[in-house]
Amino acid sequence: MTVLFLVAIVLALAVVGYVVARGRALSSVKGNVRELHSLPGYYGWHGFIMASLPALALLSVWLIVQPMVLERTVATLMPTETTADQTAFKLAVADIRRLAAGLDVAVAQGAMTEEEARSLNSESSNVRDTLAGVGVALGSDVSPETLLAAQEYRVKSATGTLWRMIAVIAVAVAGLAYAVSVTNAAFRARNRVEKVVLALLIASASVAILTTIGIIWSMLSESINFFRQYPVFDFFFGLTWSPNFRGGSELGFLPLLWGTLYITAVSMVVSVPLGMFTAIYLAEYASPRARAWIKPVIEVIAGIPTVVFGLFALITVGPFLRDWFAQPLGLGNSGSSVMTAGIVIGILNIPFISSLADDIINAVPQSLRDGSYGLGATKSETIKQVVLPAALPGIVGAILLAASRAIGETMVVTMGAGAAAKLDLNPFEAMTTMTVKIVGQLTGDTDFASPETLVAFALGMTLFVITLGLNIIALMIVRKYREQYE
Amino acid sequence: MKDINIEERVVSDHKVKITARGVQVHYGTTHALKDVDVDILSGTVTAFIGPSGCGKSTFLRCLNRMNDTVSSARVSGSILLDGEDIYDKRVDPVQLRAKVGMVFQKPNPFPKSIYDNVAYGPKIHGLTRSKAELDAIVESSLKKAALWNEVKDRLAAPGTGLSGGQQQRLCIARAIATSPEVLLMDEPCSALDPIATAQVEELIDELRSQFSVVIVTHSMQQAARVSQRTAFFHLGHLVEYGETGQVFTTPKDPRTESYITGRIG
Amino acid sequence: MTDASSAAPALPNRVHSILTESADMRRRNAAEGRFKLYGMAAIAVSFIVLGIMLWTIFSDGLSGFQQAKLTFPVTLTAETLDPKGNKNRDEMAKVTTVGYGKVLAASFKAELAARNIPTDGVTEKELVEIISKDAPGGLRARVLADPSLLGQTIEMTMLATGRIDGYLKGRVTMQTAERDGNVSPAQLQFADLLIDAGILKTGFNREFLTNPDASDQRPEAAGLGVAILGSAYMMLLVLIMCVPVGVAASIYLEEFAPKNRWTDLVEVNISNLAAVPSIVFGILGLAIFINFMGLPQSSSVVGALVISLMTLPTIIIATRASIRAVPPSIRDAALGIGASKMQTVFHHVLPLAMPGILTGTILGLASALGETAPLLLIGMVAFVDNYPSAPVEGFFDPATALPVQVYSWASRSDPAFIERSSAAIIVLLVFLVIMNVTAIILRRKFERRW
Repeated sequence: MTVLFLVAIVLALAVVGYVVARGRALSSVKGNVRELHSLPGYYGWHGFIMASLPALALLSVWLIVQPMVLERTVATLMPTETTADQTAFKLAVADIRRLAAGLDVAVAQGAMTEEEARSLNSESSNVRDTLAGVGVALGSDVSPETLLAAQEYRVKSATGTLWRMIAVIAVAVAGLAYAVSVTNAAFRARNRVEKVVLALLIASASVAILTTIGIIWSMLSESINFFRQYPVFDFFFGLTWSPNFRGGSELGFLPLLWGTLYITAVSMVVSVPLGMFTAIYLAEYASPRARAWIKPVIEVIAGIPTVVFGLFALITVGPFLRDWFAQPLGLGNSGSSVMTAGIVIGILNIPFISSLADDIINAVPQSLRDGSYGLGATKSETIKQVVLPAALPGIVGAILLAASRAIGETMVVTMGAGAAAKLDLNPFEAMTTMTVKIVGQLTGDTDFASPETLVAFALGMTLFVITLGLNIIALMIVRKYREQYE
Repeated sequence: MKDINIEERVVSDHKVKITARGVQVHYGTTHALKDVDVDILSGTVTAFIGPSGCGKSTFLRCLNRMNDTVSSARVSGSILLDGEDIYDKRVDPVQLRAKVGMVFQKPNPFPKSIYDNVAYGPKIHGLTRSKAELDAIVESSLKKAALWNEVKDRLAAPGTGLSGGQQQRLCIARAIATSPEVLLMDEPCSALDPIATAQVEELIDELRSQFSVVIVTHSMQQAARVSQRTAFFHLGHLVEYGETGQVFTTPKDPRTESYITGRIG
Repeated sequence: MTDASSAAPALPNRVHSILTESADMRRRNAAEGRFKLYGMAAIAVSFIVLGIMLWTIFSDGLSGFQQAKLTFPVTLTAETLDPKGNKNRDEMAKVTTVGYGKVLAASFKAELAARNIPTDGVTEKELVEIISKDAPGGLRARVLADPSLLGQTIEMTMLATGRIDGYLKGRVTMQTAERDGNVSPAQLQFADLLIDAGILKTGFNREFLTNPDASDQRPEAAGLGVAILGSAYMMLLVLIMCVPVGVAASIYLEEFAPKNRWTDLVEVNISNLAAVPSIVFGILGLAIFINFMGLPQSSSVVGALVISLMTLPTIIIATRASIRAVPPSIRDAALGIGASKMQTVFHHVLPLAMPGILTGTILGLASALGETAPLLLIGMVAFVDNYPSAPVEGFFDPATALPVQVYSWASRSDPAFIERSSAAIIVLLVFLVIMNVTAIILRRKFERRW
């Protein structure tokens, strides 16, 4: 809350900056606005920006740096065997934070005084019980080192917070003073304000790049951790996937890749013909009126969340395929299967392919169709022999994008494909995919030091690389194709 | 492979090929063509001239029912091809277009090889039984379109790689490969440079011996150069129709005269 | 006509009148018809699947808005609930739900005896089990809130257990009950008696929309309250975080960005981010927002951050399209009278592009509302039965989201949760429909042609 309070103070100062700077600008020309370089409002905004922006920037930096510094200080108070091991250290720090927060709550509720909180020691009193009394549950009894560290942490963080407040307010006031001091009739306030706005716009546009960097960095660093504990070769070429949280796991990637590709293939068999024929009908045959109501209905499918398709796979498609195909054919009796997930993903992808293909088919110039009709070709002959070949690159791009979506689809496979990692040809057998295993390894209790958890990051990285590759190729093809007709 | 059927037809010179009576065309609420009567003769180049938007292209597109592909267009009146109403319910426009071929304003070769462009029509109409027959049709069509010598060594190259004039001649070759009886040309030279235009005009004159050619053109000089008969359209009306020499030298209608002398256009 | 063509030499269809259809033409037209049919069939498949899907969801889920409830007078015996007899709330709080369960059971049996409803065939335990395990908790909260109720007899309506609810809705039958360890045919027969007596009946299930989630044994008490609140918090945060950044980025890229490597890089990044699998964003959220920045797991704020990053490309693409639709003449007009580029954009272009931006934003939010996979990774699938507190602190409290609730119910074993899951989808779809319809209306209303 104190952070919010601080932000509120800074914003209040900024408003003061607006009013004062604007007033000063006006008084410098005795109310004759024409003599000002910029409109009075710009002087005001200049004051606002100068008072708030540097202060808020300092605040955000402080918020990130302070915990890091505190962690390092606390580390010196802990036994070396704890600090040496990454995981144990992280856990210990989390304990210290929880304890420190608990002490804060206790003080706030009056269960102990500030003095008590600082001088408390584990021999004389049971910290765990005291804190439980104010509603803070601790997992285990508190060791003397942890208590000491937590007390130190509290004190240091309180000091840090105090200094943070002082520094931020000082910067805000300094900015305000600067803005007011430079304000005079000749000052180019508008140019300055516009420069700041432009910088903000550029920063916003760069968020996309930051996101990509974040994705790559987060997955790469944990993947490297994983490959330190598990051989790269065994991961990429291993034929068995059997994680075991007690150790001795086999984390072979190939069964997952096989499941992913098998399900993707089934989905493409469903979605490509259906999506293409839908697009062809809409682009070439449907009357404008039919198109006006068919297209929105198809788009409804695209708007339905994937979890709904997942439930559909789980309770409708799975049992149907099991009872009518798998069991009569003697191919197994699992409701979750490659077929279930593949068919449902295929359906999910129909509107995606059809709307992309529709655009691409519409981009084929009418003159080519006219040329073909003029020679006495029927509509279907024109489509098959002129329109589709002309649109082929774009269609290939659309299909690659659809494949990348199928590979990355998570909910349908989590609910419809099963969890057993297998290298099998039977499409009615439950198999699993990379995405299912990412969800599986990262939900529930996770231990970020064990290879069984970290493998999810390696899987994520692989998934990212595969889909990124497909997307880049697809976008390149589509872009090239567009240029051809522009 | 000889063009036996085509040569047979040449005998019946100057017979009426197409008869149009009271043709009206509406595009949505626009009345594009009003009550047009025209007889088009075989073995003749007929030119349609007139200012932009006068309806000449619209009328041309009625002759092989290309207007069917525009959903808002409505055509009434009668157009007879060899005495048969082409707007009759029983007529399949696809079959009609095999008889009445069309070449468009902008060269529009398919994104396929030169060979496949020309072979496209014969293939879809099932005109050939063997590869050799098809080869022969492609060769003769390209020869008739005066393109053979330029492309015979690169038949597998894409048609879109040719120059503008070559592309348009390829489109003509493509159109005559299906052995149509009438060839409609919608401003075939408007996208071409003067040299290419001259080549195509020369070609049109030669085609006259085998097909009835109807050409829409912007340029009166071109109409005068290539056609035997000329029709002048203005604001959706057929103003005047007759021998090209007569229309250009002694126009009956004052509007025709104004257009020819450059007062409307 | 056909015989003529078969007798014809090399080029059969040339001698044909156009008024008759040649054999070749008939074949080609048949092919044409088939091709067109494939197109219609493909569309029909989509329609049928959509129909089946909606039908399954509605037929499974609509009953979730109804719930079997028991109504009978409950005597709140003071001796059990307030052993010290001083109506002190803290002292009373020591009585757990077990004590309240006993009170309910006693009142229930008393009512049955009073109404002469025969209980033979049903054991005492089976009898009590008809009352939901959730009921004692509700009663306890009510009494603690108002200790003056002690000693009184109040008319109370409470949930019946999930299997009895299923029986009333046709999900549980005598046959399934025989194989089911959680319910016996005798209980079902007894339920019939209760229905006849008017004690047991189904009514509108308001609690479904307000209750928090409930554990595996109490499907009848599970509700969407926390999920709806969590989703609302996330959408609000996405709106606050994603829209300004998205619009600012679009303005920059459309109006100011020079043609250089950096701009190209940004463009490529945006189009690639739009195609990155959503689960990858979940990994990003877990690694950066939770593990690195230390934001609390399962909280709306982390969910919103992840979803914002995912939705950003959608919003940017929509915004850029509507900015591009503003004709250059308007920019020229403003620049021509001496406005700066920035003034032109903010005073003229942006207001004109606003309806398009708004529509794009709503559609982006609608797709964000249904996003599930990344939320699983940041812990929103955890069982949360406390409401998050009010903003701003509530953004950091554990919460769950509508689509995640659908998933977590679907993965529970009790079939009663499939009904809940489908009903949750109906709620989700209602929100999506509202958002989409709003977007369509806005688009129609502000549609502008230049």
